[in-house]
Amino acid sequence: MIFLKRQLPLVITFIMGVTFTLQYYIPHPVSEEAITNVAKWMQIISGFALFLGLASLFHVHAVKIKRQVPGWGYSLVLYAGMLGMIAVGFWSHGETRVDGAQTSFGWLYDYTMVPLQGTMFSILAFFIASAAYRAFRARSREASVLLASAVIVMMGRVPLGQFLVPWSWDVTQWLLNVLNSAVRRAILIGVSMGAVALSLKIILGIERSYLGGGRDQ
Amino acid sequence: MNVVAFLCLLFFSGVAFAAPPSLAPPEGFRVLDTPNDTGKSLSLVWKASPSDSKNRSIQVWAAESPHAAFKKVAEFPSNTRYVKAGDFPWWAQPAGKGEHYVKLSSSQAFPIEDGKSYAVKLLVRDGEQEAWSEIAEGRPAPNFFNTAQVNNLVFVLAFTGVLLASIAAARRNPHIYLRRIAGLDAVEEAIGRSTEMGRPILYLTGAGDMSEVPTIAATVILGEVAKKVAHYDTSLKVPHRDPIVMAVCQEIVKEAYVEAGRPDAYKEDSNFFITSDQFSYTAAVDGIMLREKPAANFFMGSYFAESLLLTETGASTGAIQIAGTDSDHQLPFFVTTCDYTLIGEELYAASAYLSREPVLVGTLRGQDFGKAFIMSVLVLGTALATIGVVAGTENFDYVLDFFKDFK
Amino acid sequence: MKEFARRMVGIDRRIIFLLIAAAVLLPLVKPFGLPIKVSPEVKAVYDYIEALPERSVLFLSFDFDPSSKPELEPQAVALLRHAFRKNLRVIGMTHWLTGTGLADGVFSKVAAEMGKERHKDYVFLGWSPGGGSLIIAMGQDLYKAFPSDYTKTPTRGMPVLDGVQNLRDVNYLVSLAAGGAGIEMWYVFGKDKYRFEMAGGSTGVIAPGLYPFLRSGQINGLIGGLQGAAEYETLITQKGTATAGMDAQSAAHFVIIVLVLLCNVFYFMLRGEKGRPN
Repeated sequence: MIFLKRQLPLVITFIMGVTFTLQYYIPHPVSEEAITNVAKWMQIISGFALFLGLASLFHVHAVKIKRQVPGWGYSLVLYAGMLGMIAVGFWSHGETRVDGAQTSFGWLYDYTMVPLQGTMFSILAFFIASAAYRAFRARSREASVLLASAVIVMMGRVPLGQFLVPWSWDVTQWLLNVLNSAVRRAILIGVSMGAVALSLKIILGIERSYLGGGRDQ
Repeated sequence: MNVVAFLCLLFFSGVAFAAPPSLAPPEGFRVLDTPNDTGKSLSLVWKASPSDSKNRSIQVWAAESPHAAFKKVAEFPSNTRYVKAGDFPWWAQPAGKGEHYVKLSSSQAFPIEDGKSYAVKLLVRDGEQEAWSEIAEGRPAPNFFNTAQVNNLVFVLAFTGVLLASIAAARRNPHIYLRRIAGLDAVEEAIGRSTEMGRPILYLTGAGDMSEVPTIAATVILGEVAKKVAHYDTSLKVPHRDPIVMAVCQEIVKEAYVEAGRPDAYKEDSNFFITSDQFSYTAAVDGIMLREKPAANFFMGSYFAESLLLTETGASTGAIQIAGTDSDHQLPFFVTTCDYTLIGEELYAASAYLSREPVLVGTLRGQDFGKAFIMSVLVLGTALATIGVVAGTENFDYVLDFFKDFK
Repeated sequence: MKEFARRMVGIDRRIIFLLIAAAVLLPLVKPFGLPIKVSPEVKAVYDYIEALPERSVLFLSFDFDPSSKPELEPQAVALLRHAFRKNLRVIGMTHWLTGTGLADGVFSKVAAEMGKERHKDYVFLGWSPGGGSLIIAMGQDLYKAFPSDYTKTPTRGMPVLDGVQNLRDVNYLVSLAAGGAGIEMWYVFGKDKYRFEMAGGSTGVIAPGLYPFLRSGQINGLIGGLQGAAEYETLITQKGTATAGMDAQSAAHFVIIVLVLLCNVFYFMLRGEKGRPN
């Protein structure tokens, strides 16, 4: 069992990791065919991950309903929503539109999914304002620079600001293209090195936390 | 006078009726298998001529053999398709700088198969004049190694070596110097505050799964936080978006309580799964914050649009908030709404600093070497490129090419 | 006065929310309409599409879901209008499962407006799992990656896909991205290997993070947020929801700027007191 849970995944990870690292440097059609096939396997596995997510969600909320923990009514609502959407989706054969006419699935998508997601995202506009009001204070030199550049960019990125303070557009462009690019590049290099280092550790079997067990080996 | 007039007439008529200079065919024309490719293509190379111009055109004619019927496959002005600096590395260039280079790939009009020989010739046309080149033959074949990317492979192997050496060194001595991270002092303060107020601590591990660096760092920091929480007997709540991360965190928190000598205080349901959907999870966590009013909120890992929704709600409840993320697009929101923010690699460093795990410490060290190397190359490369331009020399390209990405 | 300043510094956030709501709603009811300046990064996308010959292949990746609809849908509509006006062939797909209905709706709407036919002038391939692996699969063989489109019609033999075997046959790709699965992924798994030209369209939040890719030429243009969509609408001389939304965005930005400046005034008034204010 240990072999199946620990050793075998590590062996597979090592072989596939090394093979497809080298594949990047091999232009031969055999190598291209290999990556095409593996890409197809990965698509299939990604599809299964959807089912896993769904199954785990069903299981967690089933336990909540069974034990009648506080708030278990919301788990019932979740079940109703999920099963209802799945049933309607199957009934409409997964189509949101047929010959230009909206299906029931399309109706549910357009009038529940879209407004609900849009609403959650739109709360950000209000929260940004209250966070900015609380946080953008010139407490120190660095905070003053942050405040000034935030005000200039906020003006330079909208027509009203460009109209009232024409130079704000040019300064904004300079801030975005020069200062912002430089800093983002530095962060990107650092983060990318981290990602490369993690990938190497996973391929070489040094990092095993993704298997769900202990850390340092 | 009549003789002079006659001679002038003779001269100018000679000039008027003299045959124009004949058009020279392309010089040094050759056909090769395109290097570093998947096959089914040929490379055509010939020397540049001083008379190349936009009014003069080049036609490429190809056939399956020198005696078969030729077919026109391409046409372009003669003053185009030059090899420029940066097209090929010096160690893998099919044509020199300034020469003409054209890649002839297989197409519906002229299919090319590997292993078969093809004959190609060029036609130069300038007004009414034409000149054919010699017929050259080439045989396409796929290549097993892209020599243009040998520099890339060398750097990957070198970085791997440095990383493994750093990890080995850290295993021998895990107490390598790591700069103290400011936000870490606040962790103790936050836990103490929660204990005094008798309110729980909320810890989030972000949107990523266990194969992402920030999530791994978040779980390590959770272990350290859990140890302190166990010691102070404070309540800990860790809502999750990913079942595997939840499983890992459950073990980490349990181990932390055992190490702190308080296995009895461990609660199985301190780690719980909500949903993997972004905004549903956010709404649920916001609800927990508003109802249970935790005294301290930790936001560690990778985040997306939900970051501000979480932190602003937490700020409205008066909690002390500590964040750590490498999601640079969310950093402004964390910085404005949280009391302390670990930016980018400070998160990885914090996890290494707290746990002193040799793998984490060694990895950090290896990455630092990598960054030091990149910074040195940036300074050196900029200097060499500038000197090269000022001095008008291309000799530094031999060094600079090594750091470029060629396909 | 100091008491007033103290009350203003700790103002109930609901008042701020009300001010923002008013700033967003009022210009939608009574627009004031200001000229929109076009940035070079948006113009670069426009110029590239403008220079494409008729029946060239434009690939649009709708990498967003309904939460980013207000910013990215106007970009998609403007790009599609431009592409259809130039008589380009458009291939669409999405990496976000929850964005499929949205993307198909946009295609249907703009195509009906411009008199374009599905499968002849455009095709929406839909969603398939995999992310980076899907891009590699499309780069090798588009028909194996998507044997049928969103309407379950077989892709092989479709007039719009004539001559397109894989991503190498695409003339231009624009990824409209709201986050993780988007522009970077298309570059790493797509352009780097299959050598097509590409641009990005993104939400305002992630746009600054994409400037390094723009500056290094990895993407040749960038349409950032609602402002970028409004700039594109200006270029194609057809105003849409983005231009309409810019008045509201202008007002909201100004309210935030005024609030921030006022807050600093009150903060400095209180700072004169003995001891630092919280």
